[in-house]
Amino acid sequence: MNPIDVLIIIGCVAIVVGVIVTSIINKKKGKTSCGCDCAHCSGCANKTKTEEQTNK
Amino acid sequence: MKRFALAGNPNCGKTTLFNSLTGSTAHVGNWPGVTVDKREGVYKKGAEPISIVDLPGIYSLSPYTPEEVVSRNYILDEKPDCVINIVDVTNLERNLYLTTQIMEMDVPVVIALNMMDILEKQGDRINAKELEKRLNIPVVEISALKNTGMDELMKVALATCKKERKGVTVLEHTELSHLIGDVRIALQGQEVANPLFHAIKLIENDEIEIAMHPQTVKMVEEFKNTFTNDLFGTDFEALVADARYRHITKNYSPLLTKKAKGIKLTSSDKADRILTNKWLAIPIFLVILFSMFHLTFSENFLFLSGILNKDWVSLAGTHFEGLFGSGEGIAAPGVVLFNLMDIITATLSGWIGEGVANLTSTEWILNLVNDGILAGLCAVLSFVPQIIFLLLLLSILEDTGYMARVAFILDKIFRKFGVSGRAFIPMIMGFGCSVPAMINTRTLADERERILTIRTIPFFTCGAKLPILAAVTGAIAMAFNVANVDLITYALYVIGMATAVITILVMRGTTQRGEIAPFIMELPTYHMPSFKALMIHLWDKTKHYIKKVFTVILASTIIVWFLSNFRWNWTIIEAKETMNESILASIGQFMQPIFTPLGFGSQLGSLGWVFAVAAILGLIAKENVIAGFLTLSSVILAMMAVNPDILVNAGVLSEEVLAELNALIESGEFGEDGYEVVAMIAATGIEIPGLISFIVFNMTTIPCFAAVATARGELKKGTAKWTILFWILTSYIVSMATYCILTWWWTAFIFVALMTLVICIIRLYNKKHPIAKRG
Repeated sequence: MNPIDVLIIIGCVAIVVGVIVTSIINKKKGKTSCGCDCAHCSGCANKTKTEEQTNK
Repeated sequence: MKRFALAGNPNCGKTTLFNSLTGSTAHVGNWPGVTVDKREGVYKKGAEPISIVDLPGIYSLSPYTPEEVVSRNYILDEKPDCVINIVDVTNLERNLYLTTQIMEMDVPVVIALNMMDILEKQGDRINAKELEKRLNIPVVEISALKNTGMDELMKVALATCKKERKGVTVLEHTELSHLIGDVRIALQGQEVANPLFHAIKLIENDEIEIAMHPQTVKMVEEFKNTFTNDLFGTDFEALVADARYRHITKNYSPLLTKKAKGIKLTSSDKADRILTNKWLAIPIFLVILFSMFHLTFSENFLFLSGILNKDWVSLAGTHFEGLFGSGEGIAAPGVVLFNLMDIITATLSGWIGEGVANLTSTEWILNLVNDGILAGLCAVLSFVPQIIFLLLLLSILEDTGYMARVAFILDKIFRKFGVSGRAFIPMIMGFGCSVPAMINTRTLADERERILTIRTIPFFTCGAKLPILAAVTGAIAMAFNVANVDLITYALYVIGMATAVITILVMRGTTQRGEIAPFIMELPTYHMPSFKALMIHLWDKTKHYIKKVFTVILASTIIVWFLSNFRWNWTIIEAKETMNESILASIGQFMQPIFTPLGFGSQLGSLGWVFAVAAILGLIAKENVIAGFLTLSSVILAMMAVNPDILVNAGVLSEEVLAELNALIESGEFGEDGYEVVAMIAATGIEIPGLISFIVFNMTTIPCFAAVATARGELKKGTAKWTILFWILTSYIVSMATYCILTWWWTAFIFVALMTLVICIIRLYNKKHPIAKRG
């Protein structure tokens, strides 16, 4: 296996692990899991509602 | 940092003002209910930074819908330093109704008289100074759209927030003044904050107030027993509302001087005469809807095939061959964008593939990059322009104000099915994305109607499902030589809507019985959508989609490739062996029988498990269905390229099918992606009914995880699990019915008979157990 092969494998593993870990972290923070952060998207309002429920 | 809240009626310009003050790009739609939760930003242009909170539009502080509760609770509980009450000066009386209630709170208030540009255009005038004097509240004239008066508004608000203010009421010189005074004193004795506001709300029998001050309710009832009114009797809510409007009409309405005498039809009124006409409204709406899909999906735009030069249209022999169509007809703009993106992604993936091939010769790495990552990504990226184009058309319909009219037009029809026309707006938002559509149901006052709408939103095919729709219908056209693909697409959208209607009827007759809420909605004035706002909105959507492709979709394609090329003992499947020994194949084969009644299960060849796996992958993100599908078909073709007989020798394909596949590849008739999908269809032996059933299943089943999480957040505890069960059952039954009817036409009678039986049972039950009507 040459170094490029190793790099590609590491890159793929990093992408998969990164996406899974980021999703879990976002969920714990109460962010919407669709990954959107558009200012207009009401989906982002979910964060506020979840925080309020957590704080009660 | 100081906090200012923006409060006002729906469509009075709060979000436009918010965007102007904070530099934000919050979506401004021309229909009530766009903002359903508060939004925060920072104003940095003044002497000090100020936090600005955009609240959902409310008509009064007696909330009937969840988003109205958000606004009321924010002002009462969060105690902003100042409330900027935006008043639409072209609808002064109705807007000032809310103002008279905000004034009763112990909070500094500034009035922003918005839409001054429209007022001046109409030739009307308002005496803002006199209004300020009579209200005893600062009044600033602004135009949020034209960005005038902003600095003045913020200066005045900053000066006002430094002064303490006690609530005052316009009811102090009415017959209610003694009653209000008595209750206020009682609440002051209990050290309740905002006693004047709460006193008036208790007198109005506000449900939230009654729940908050149970010990005071009895005392208030005793006070009210001493009060009588000839006109309203004991309806204190109507009494208070009437008193407010009489005060507004007498003291504030005369300050607005209108130029035009008599009733003059505005251009919006003239347009409404046609667009909301009793007979023309629905046909016009259906034509507009069909046009939207025709512009996005049609391979025979404007049905011009036959009169165009085939070679000219297809650009045969050039690098852009097929961009404007295959020559059988000119492609619609949406399809041209798709073809263009397809050419770009194919070229780029070719370069990347060549580059990687120059760096390494390890076969499985090359397969991972070409057949795993690039095949899956390019499949989804190709659809981005088409999805954005459809969203552009939807946004234009929303922003012109037409969508609000459609809700009004469809109200009468929707009532027959069990919901009000108000529910149409979140449903139509579902064509973009289910997540904001479900959140928008907060504008529905009736809880049952909310549940019904949330459950049926996924049946309105969202943007993420568009690749499934377009790819599979395109494959049907190629593999089975079927013309007019856009008609199939249109029919599939209609199936989704029909499913929504039938399920609403069933739910209204069973678990969600109850009266339909009344529907009152303000129709906004028609106006041309702002080009800048449209482009910002589309750019936001594009960014979000691209981000999703290069994160969730990319990770999914890598996982799919890995699972389809490795066995359970972690050994790689070499080219001479078959994919049927892979981890993914065994999972797929385990699930395959479940989908047999739906037409894409065990009746397919040994590779038929691909459909089962693709459907499950769609739970993560709907784009994964086609990404996974194309990744797997690329792997199959790669195996065949190395050793054409491997699939025959392993018993996966018959020799006849192999010969058909080889002929397909050698013919060069299809584009590179085209023959992959067609090869998959040939390899599995799936027919048109099975393919359409596959699309219907993916359209109606559980939406993506994000939408499921949103539904859980919006619904009461315990309702979410029934909602998920509802989605699974509905998609299974509808998909099965589609497959059966398309395969054996006479089964349509069986399904109709079963449906009739179910409806009769429901009706009989409801007749024996009628619901109590509201008093």
